[in-house]
Amino acid sequence: MKRISRRRMLRGTLFGGTVAIGLPMLDAMLPTRSSAQAGVAPKRIIFWFSANGTRQDIWSPPANMDLSGHPMHASLAPFSQKLLFLDGVDQDVAYDSIGDGHQTGMACLLTNAEILPGSLFCEGNCDGPTPQYVGWGGGQSVDQYLADEIAKDIVTKFRSLEFGVQVRSSSVWSRMSYTGPDQPVPHREDPNQNFTDLFGDLDTDPFELALIRKRRQSVLDAVMADHEAFNRTLGYEDKQTLDKHLQSIRDLEARLDVTGGVGAACQEPTVTLPGGNFEQNDQYPMTGRAQMDMLVMALACDMTRVASIQWSRSVSNVQHNWVPLRLGEGHHSLSHYDDSNADSQADLLEINKWYSEQFAYMLGLMDGIQEGENSLLDNSVVVWVNELGKGNSHTRRDIPFMLAGSAQGYFNTGRHIDFGGEPHGKLLVSLTHAMDKPVSTFGVPQYSQGPLSGLT
Amino acid sequence: MRPLATGHRSAPLAALAVALVCGCTGLIGSGGDGSADDAVAKELCVVDTPIRRMTRFEYNNTVRDLLGDDTNPADVLPPEEEVAGFNNQAGALTTSDLLVEQYANVAETVSARAITNMTTLMDGCDPASQGSDACALSFIERWGQRAYRRPLEQDEIDRLKGVFDWAVADPDLGTFEDGIQIVIEVVLQSPSFLYRPEYGSELPVEGDVVPFTSWEMATKLSYMLWNTMPDDQLFEAAANDALLTREQIGAQAARMLENDRAKDTIRNFHRQWLLLTELDNVTKDTSIYPAFNASLRPLWEEEIQTFIEQVILEGDGSLQTLLTGDYSFMNEELASFYGDDVVEPVTGTEFQRVQLDPTRRAGFLTSAALMATHANLNQSSPVFRGKFVREQLMCNTLPLPPNDLVIEPPELDPNKTTKEQFEEIGADPACASCHSLMNPIGFIFEHYDGVGQWRDQQNGKDVDAVGEVVQTDDIDGTYDGAIELAQALAASTQVQECVSSQWFRFAYNRSVTQLDSCSIEQINERFAASNFNVRELLVALTQTNAFLYRRAVVAEQGGAQ
Repeated sequence: MKRISRRRMLRGTLFGGTVAIGLPMLDAMLPTRSSAQAGVAPKRIIFWFSANGTRQDIWSPPANMDLSGHPMHASLAPFSQKLLFLDGVDQDVAYDSIGDGHQTGMACLLTNAEILPGSLFCEGNCDGPTPQYVGWGGGQSVDQYLADEIAKDIVTKFRSLEFGVQVRSSSVWSRMSYTGPDQPVPHREDPNQNFTDLFGDLDTDPFELALIRKRRQSVLDAVMADHEAFNRTLGYEDKQTLDKHLQSIRDLEARLDVTGGVGAACQEPTVTLPGGNFEQNDQYPMTGRAQMDMLVMALACDMTRVASIQWSRSVSNVQHNWVPLRLGEGHHSLSHYDDSNADSQADLLEINKWYSEQFAYMLGLMDGIQEGENSLLDNSVVVWVNELGKGNSHTRRDIPFMLAGSAQGYFNTGRHIDFGGEPHGKLLVSLTHAMDKPVSTFGVPQYSQGPLSGLT
Repeated sequence: MRPLATGHRSAPLAALAVALVCGCTGLIGSGGDGSADDAVAKELCVVDTPIRRMTRFEYNNTVRDLLGDDTNPADVLPPEEEVAGFNNQAGALTTSDLLVEQYANVAETVSARAITNMTTLMDGCDPASQGSDACALSFIERWGQRAYRRPLEQDEIDRLKGVFDWAVADPDLGTFEDGIQIVIEVVLQSPSFLYRPEYGSELPVEGDVVPFTSWEMATKLSYMLWNTMPDDQLFEAAANDALLTREQIGAQAARMLENDRAKDTIRNFHRQWLLLTELDNVTKDTSIYPAFNASLRPLWEEEIQTFIEQVILEGDGSLQTLLTGDYSFMNEELASFYGDDVVEPVTGTEFQRVQLDPTRRAGFLTSAALMATHANLNQSSPVFRGKFVREQLMCNTLPLPPNDLVIEPPELDPNKTTKEQFEEIGADPACASCHSLMNPIGFIFEHYDGVGQWRDQQNGKDVDAVGEVVQTDDIDGTYDGAIELAQALAASTQVQECVSSQWFRFAYNRSVTQLDSCSIEQINERFAASNFNVRELLVALTQTNAFLYRRAVVAEQGGAQ
């Protein structure tokens, strides 16, 4: 393969000492930057979203944490000592916020902030004299907060990576990450494009890469000058929009010289790409797997410390045709039947079991990558989130939050804790502590008074 | 400084209060501090739109027309925000790091492809004989004007020439082509390319209300009617400053609707308005619908889109025909799906005009594309079909089910018709208040099964397609079958005004505000006067004060271009 040979040639060149330019990918053979500084690999945080609530009645693990016979989570059995099942954690803020169940469940999930008033998205009863509309989420999300804080310490190739699996649309129902109030973050949804964007550099001759970067630098310099002149001509509102655009260009330029390639396991991943069909319903599993493969490798390459993967969106109506379904309807439709309907309950178990298997797949990839004494999973915390507790009631209480990985021993894993109704804002605070960027409250203070107790 | 065209002052200023019946547009209050200028803008029905950014669709069309690049390169950009039913709403589109990163990627690949065709790009200038600098400058000025859709400012020319000079002087690049490529790459990331700024003329017509320049008008017209950049004739009109009066602008609009590029816009609008994007996810239980296979989906979409496009651009253009026409376009495979409903033989894979049984089919309303989308996996759905008619055609917005209500659609009962089953649920008082708005309309479509095929019987019983339509402005009553309903919808003022308000949002890239009442009234009058000809509606949209004027831009940091 051409790709492999080029990479080997590159390594050979490195050992020959003939490469004059210090290309970061050559660090594959060297201790990582953070290892050299701190003696340990960096901590990472990954948010992992699936939609429409779960089967709350069977979600919890047994007391002994043996998951091997669990109807939903059997595939997580190998990792049971690295998991924390959180029962009784509620999205209290969602009940104060404007917006319908899915909207608030999604927009408040990582922000712990109420949805902004606005005229964008219709909610509830939009007919009549006082139509109800809402805007975007009303605060920075915890992943974006952490990305900002970490960026003060180190410039990674990507400030953060938001992967999507057939999210498709952009609305308050489909965005959980926000750089700030009213500032939703879109997802990288095309695995084929992702492969190029993330790993294209690894495949490129170092001299060619240096040339490409020099060129991009000049292009972006000219583009920025153009934007600066342009923005001076605009009125207030338009200038806000364009200034944000310009800031993104500046950020892109600042990361031009940064690449992945750190970490012994870092290499171009083996990925089965779904081609142009990545948005077709039946490609959902393949698209998701490709995205997870690349996400884990991006972490192994230290391309970012903060990531997320969002399967579909709130109100997901993906048809999970690859699991045995009795009713064969879309996920959201199935989630609306009464609990007494045995068929829909069986289907919801199959669907959530499938997500659990996908979660296990990603944990397996992460646990298989050694970084010194720890695995990548041990150095991380993966947070499985959902906009609802259960679909048919739209409850945002008892959300099925699950943590995997201890963030280098911060979390005391292998346990199941029932908090009996603590606000989820405290979980977000806990995550900032785990990532060594502690805050005392996050989002609405009333619902985030310090971290959850008993997690560490 | 350009003398103001006299046509501007003749604008009809009467702002009659028109009671809009369309709930879904949601009249959104416009700000204003009550100054004298606000009063003028209000009187003139002038409402500013946030700066527009190209959608992916518009970007793809634009690089097709600008560079001959038909690879749809913008498909990798993040999706637009969908608000008020459309993905081109100026105030809703957000920027992000990912968007900007992908703009850079796309510009890199598009510019690399572009310089494989230097002869076309250079348009006769030969750098070997005429000099590299001369050809670069002429390219920047000539091509840059097409890309920015206006003549370049001197500082813009200087910046682009500067980056060209850098590239040709760089030891690793160094060729003329490298220089041209980098110019293209920068231009494709420029806000003057990606966005559509509108400053207006320097001379107000009244207060701070200004008309647009001819260059701006050329761009407004082309993106509204073509979803792409202006053609040579629009650019010529702009260069001659001949896009100032209502007559000039209306004549261009009429010309543009004769051009094939209008098809892009017609299809883009209907893909969104009629929710055809949902077709991709339509799947059916083939044990119940053996006629279904996934290859029908693109045929269904092509049928409804071809029909609409032909009616509007080639046919009589009327809403009546769109809703009730007794013909369609299909190939052999699709005709065989429709069976007896097609009353003439169809052979081959090419789409052709076919006559339909007028007792069974009416315009786009009964097309398989809509009937199959608004149905369940294994049965028709009176709820979804009623909801579609209410929301998309009548501009009602129905309440969502209450937050904590448990919903249970009926399971298949082999001894009952779908209507009988849904009537049972609809009778539940908890559901009736909302479902009485939807289900009876859906019943009227019961002759079309879950894939849209005609049926006279279901489960051994005769199909009963009678439904009572209630709580409408003007079509309350009992209808037996979709043919009757289609005639009523076509004659309904509520539907007609719904169509015009949908086009308003799509064409103007924003929601209707309270200040738009006189523009809305004007559009509706002209639509009615043309016997509801959609072509005339589109021309009418170029004639309103809302389209022709804006308020002068007060730059935040001075230095207006």
